[in-house]
Amino acid sequence: MVYVYAFVERPASVPDVRGIGDARVEAEAAPGLDVVISRHEAPSVEASEPAVIAHARVVEALAASNEAVLPARFGGGHADADGLRAAVAERASELTAALARVRGCVELGVRALAPAGQEVAAASGGAYMRARLEQRREAERLAEELHAPLAERAREATRTVGATPRLLLSAAYLVPKGEVTEFREVVERVQAEHAELAIVCTGPWPAYSFATAEAGSA
Amino acid sequence: MRPEDDKILHGVADLDDLATELDRIGTAFPTRVNADPERVEQGLAQLVLTLVELLRQLMERQALRRMEQGTLTDEQIERLGETFMKLERRMEELKREFGLEDRDLNLNLGPLGDLL
Amino acid sequence: MNGASPAAQQEVTLLELVDRVLNKGVVLTGDVTLSVADVDLVYVGLRVLLASVGTLEQLESSPQ
Repeated sequence: MVYVYAFVERPASVPDVRGIGDARVEAEAAPGLDVVISRHEAPSVEASEPAVIAHARVVEALAASNEAVLPARFGGGHADADGLRAAVAERASELTAALARVRGCVELGVRALAPAGQEVAAASGGAYMRARLEQRREAERLAEELHAPLAERAREATRTVGATPRLLLSAAYLVPKGEVTEFREVVERVQAEHAELAIVCTGPWPAYSFATAEAGSA
Repeated sequence: MRPEDDKILHGVADLDDLATELDRIGTAFPTRVNADPERVEQGLAQLVLTLVELLRQLMERQALRRMEQGTLTDEQIERLGETFMKLERRMEELKREFGLEDRDLNLNLGPLGDLL
Repeated sequence: MNGASPAAQQEVTLLELVDRVLNKGVVLTGDVTLSVADVDLVYVGLRVLLASVGTLEQLESSPQ
């Protein structure tokens, strides 16, 4: 089985890092790009924490030594290199376009948390529903207020609003490497303008959230 | 250096809150399971309550969407709201009975996690 | 950094990391031996849980 970590603009620079199960990591040529892989006897990979961390470590190392890296999702395997190349061929133009989009950029994640006590107490079923609906609308409005200035500083952005009553915003921003400091400053400013919220910015990450054409549209 | 080192750029006083919320949306790895339950019942309760909570949240979101679209009658809204409130109260009672916290009610739901 | 314990920071970043690796990134189709299928990711958690319950049942029923 050929296990896939990431797609990299040719020629890929493969760092000195081991993959899942301490397997050797190598670059395999494919239509329009290189694929970074490891080869395994077993037909599948166990979804364990060490495997997930190993996958992340390989992707991280690749992002440090290559300008354009598209992370693969965990668990992607192919019977052999020919099968892999055929699968890449089917989406070659989409993948090379995505590589061009993320070139020179990193991903910054932002989450905004409302204070505790978001539970709705109501005297009747109807009152409960109306209160929950109002809560969602207010959360959506607030999330947009937080997101807009951040999206302005990013090449692309994606977001989810109101995953839970407290988790107002979960977003990812594609930012050129040299503009990370300015982006963080905007986060600080947004936090200062909304002292009651807890805003957490994590990163820089490889561009996991921008690896497909649909992902980059917000 | 592990890939997760030095990734937080802006910290807040209580990241435990954020961690709990992320657990609610199914972000935590499946190993965060009550793998050493004192009683067999607690493990089963954890499984059942997680599924019930998932369904409750899915249904509530669906109901709110339909309410916004105007396709629910006042009576339906009233009945749905009462049901969700009762379910929420019952969930709290059951969690207390089995000694479970919000964070225990999480399985990594993979792609489904986003539905919460 | 205000008041956030190193443990809490590490936990949040681990959650963020695992969320990205498991839920984001390119998924190829076609002649793919998906080594961990979408549906398996849902059931991994269930299996781990059931396995832990099963082990306990065995322990409880085995002769002392």
